[in-house]
Amino acid sequence: MTDLPRNQHIIASGLIACVGVSIAYISFTQEPADAFIFPRLISSVFAVLAIWTFVKAVLGRTKVGNGINGQAMRNMLPGLIVTIIYVYWAAKSLGFYTATTIAFFVLLSLYDPAPHSDIKSWGKRILITAGFMAVMYGLFAQLLNVFTPREIFF
Amino acid sequence: MKKWIAGAALALTAMTGPALADGHDSYPERPIMLMVSYGAGGATDFQARIVTMTAGNEDALGMPIAIVNRPGAGGRVGWNWFATEAEGDGYTLGAYNIPHFIAQSIEGGVSYSSDSFEPIANWGADPAVFVVAADSDFNSMADVVSYAKENPGGLTFSGAGLFVGHHIAALQLEKAAGVKMAYIPNNSGGAGAMRAVIAGEVLGGVNNLSDAFRAQAAGNVKILGVFDLERNAEFLPDVPTMMEQGYDIDNASVNFRGVMVPKGTPQPIIDKLAATVPAMFENGRVQSRMAAGGSPMHIMTRDEVLEMWAARQSTLEELLAGL
Amino acid sequence: MDFLFYMGDVFTPINFGLLLLGTIGGLILGATPGLSPTMAVALLIPFTFQLEPQQGLILLGAAYTSTVAGGAVSAILLKIPGAPANIATTLDGHTMATKGEGAKALQLSFIASAIGGLFGVFLLIFLTPVLAQWALAFGPSHLFWLAILGVTVIGTLDSSSVVKGLLSGCIGLWLATIGFDDIMGAQRFIFHPAVSGGINVIPALIGLFAIPQVITMFTKGRSSDDAEIINVKKHPIRFAFAEVFKRKMALTIGTITGSIIGLIPGVGGQIAGLVAYDQSKKFSKESEKFGTGHSEGVIAAESANNAMVGPSLVPLLTLSIPGSPTAAVLLGGLLIHGIFPGPDLFMNYPQVAWTFIDSMLIGQLLMCIFGLYIAGLAASVARVPHAVMAAIVLGLAVFGSYSVQNSMGDVYVMATLGLAMYFLERFGFSAAPLVLGLILGPIAEANFIQGSMIANATVGTGTYFFTGWLNWLLILIVLASISYSVWMEIMARRYTTKDDAVAKEEALP
Repeated sequence: MTDLPRNQHIIASGLIACVGVSIAYISFTQEPADAFIFPRLISSVFAVLAIWTFVKAVLGRTKVGNGINGQAMRNMLPGLIVTIIYVYWAAKSLGFYTATTIAFFVLLSLYDPAPHSDIKSWGKRILITAGFMAVMYGLFAQLLNVFTPREIFF
Repeated sequence: MKKWIAGAALALTAMTGPALADGHDSYPERPIMLMVSYGAGGATDFQARIVTMTAGNEDALGMPIAIVNRPGAGGRVGWNWFATEAEGDGYTLGAYNIPHFIAQSIEGGVSYSSDSFEPIANWGADPAVFVVAADSDFNSMADVVSYAKENPGGLTFSGAGLFVGHHIAALQLEKAAGVKMAYIPNNSGGAGAMRAVIAGEVLGGVNNLSDAFRAQAAGNVKILGVFDLERNAEFLPDVPTMMEQGYDIDNASVNFRGVMVPKGTPQPIIDKLAATVPAMFENGRVQSRMAAGGSPMHIMTRDEVLEMWAARQSTLEELLAGL
Repeated sequence: MDFLFYMGDVFTPINFGLLLLGTIGGLILGATPGLSPTMAVALLIPFTFQLEPQQGLILLGAAYTSTVAGGAVSAILLKIPGAPANIATTLDGHTMATKGEGAKALQLSFIASAIGGLFGVFLLIFLTPVLAQWALAFGPSHLFWLAILGVTVIGTLDSSSVVKGLLSGCIGLWLATIGFDDIMGAQRFIFHPAVSGGINVIPALIGLFAIPQVITMFTKGRSSDDAEIINVKKHPIRFAFAEVFKRKMALTIGTITGSIIGLIPGVGGQIAGLVAYDQSKKFSKESEKFGTGHSEGVIAAESANNAMVGPSLVPLLTLSIPGSPTAAVLLGGLLIHGIFPGPDLFMNYPQVAWTFIDSMLIGQLLMCIFGLYIAGLAASVARVPHAVMAAIVLGLAVFGSYSVQNSMGDVYVMATLGLAMYFLERFGFSAAPLVLGLILGPIAEANFIQGSMIANATVGTGTYFFTGWLNWLLILIVLASISYSVWMEIMARRYTTKDDAVAKEEALP
């Protein structure tokens, strides 16, 4: 194992240890105390285990977990950005069906191995998107009567 | 050609005209959502599904009402969402439970009060009753109170949660009888509280009249008293009220259920709903289903509900101030 | 043998038509992410307003049976467990699907479901009076110990490191405390309005399982690696039957665990699958194969979660107390027709009660037949290119988590937990123990508080939680489970080197 995953493990377990310690701190300081008996118990165990994991990572004794390599990071970044924009902003602001159509199509175009110069592949992407949206609309809007946020176009 | 354009223009005005006038004449144009702050299958959810089943009829709203459950923490989760996040567009209705949400708002820690909501109509009133297991030694409230006097704080009895109708009834009982008892709130609502009584985990319990009536019919419990001003003639004519047994307890704990909208909903929509919804509850099919399920109905209009909310607010403030 | 007498009623044209409708509809609803069996049955209630009581219950009974099994479809093919019952099915089932054995996984899951389900319904038919007493025996102290037993399972569930498994469980237990606490109503850890109502289990489930998988597909980039094309293996149904009966141990453990746990009010359905999975892993001769697409994992999990269907109705039908949320919805279905369940139900309304139970028997068989039919078709989902798959899973995850309570907050929670889970998984943490913590946290806490309130008013905490044969039995099992985990950890230290652990992980996609 190279040094890279070890550093990553130190950072990751360090972050978790921070979370553990801070929730433990919150549970022991918040009122009413009666409602925090259980969180105190959990967060104490949480903090101890998290610190243990952190110490193991620092000593380089971590056994499992491969970390993330640069290539994987570069590959996932565009998809991750689309996902984040879609979920945290577009779904609410543009409406579920509009946002999902756009996100779906963009993701296909980004990750579909067919060459972008090929006109036919674009037709295929549009077709798949339309098919998926038809199923979603039929299932959630027609069959289940789910009230999604208002659409901007219709 | 001119005729066509004129015709089209006319048609267009006909379509948009009234909408432009005040924007609410055509309400409702799409299905309506009713938020229930208890889980699917609970008494409130079950009754809400029945009373709204005729909403799609032409003489009612003409659009169906779909139930959405937001359970958690005795209703606080749902009402908090309803007060802070629900849109006041007339398409988001909520079910209220009195005294629950008023008691919770007095107790604090939530973002709503009776001013956050606009009532539409009331559909039901379910009094609380005191139940004990069928094989219990208690046969009247006097037995219960004398046990509680001998064992201060040692008489365990269950209810659906803290600051809900059952808890109010429990507080009233302790106050009226001058005893200290151990109220055990249950995390799975009225059904869980009833289970605790039948299984003998607790010595008694406060529960809904409708559920207790069923459990009594199944031979699992005895009902010792009703927390209401009058006996329930329809289901339990033989069970005396607390008042009859010598405890000064009024109807503050009776669980009123009805429909409301968030503050900020346009007045024309509120008026339209307030006019249509009580009539919808009076539908014969609704009435017969509710009666079959053992759920007492009590239809009240918006004005009556506003009055009832105000009355409860002052009673509960007084009762809870003593805590 | 009354149930045989009323069997004929199931086969009248209208009743059988409704049974078919309920079964097929239930499979579709069950396979939809976000729709738990409770919600699916609640959605069908309005349809029963128009029907005769008997017909309405046939529809509901068939739908309940098949939504539980239908959840396995999305769990296996998409790694989205639609309800907590199907979590354990994803562990081996989805791995099998990615290896091209989706057809086999689905067939095994439906056959195991049907066998477990039939056993559960027969228990309901023959042992109801005995079981009713058992269902009442579990008070707050016992439920507390049961939840603790669940927590001890966490460490060994699906992680190569016990410490990281426990830590994942702790994260889940902590997440469960966010929001209002159930009894006191105090607000805890509300750092964003989206979690003010607490973390709903179903959106969390969808996020924790589906999103890491979407991101993993992103990491493959635009490559059209030929090695990636999966050879979807056809799997004849008779082989599937042979396989199920060869794995008698997993089937037996799954069915029995499911039936017993299904009976316990308020806990059953959610953890039956996971507990059965863990138990059969501990008893199996090939325990190291669990998690790598092993058929025993699917069989144990699915037989358990359908076996719990019958027993979960015992408290409802005999005592008129709904033992689970789904039973509560079914109670509503009975009440609108003026039928009060209770000991007299079978005397006063034999035709309704027995036909309802019979419809669940026949429903199990129909569900199995339809399930086996779609297994052949659905398995080719594995051949869908990963770009399309990632987009589909993401879209379904968003819609599914929104539809639970029409809440945008749930979608944010789903995505945030999912994104975090991807990175946690890269560092050796896993989703299953985290979810188990999320489910068990509220059960443990509420019963602990209730128990101590009762104890303080009566016999005192020590006596209340530590005496009585059922408490002792549960404490004994908890201790056994902990010692087993510790033993396994020591043995693993001796034999597994770092390279082995890495190799095992590499084998997973």
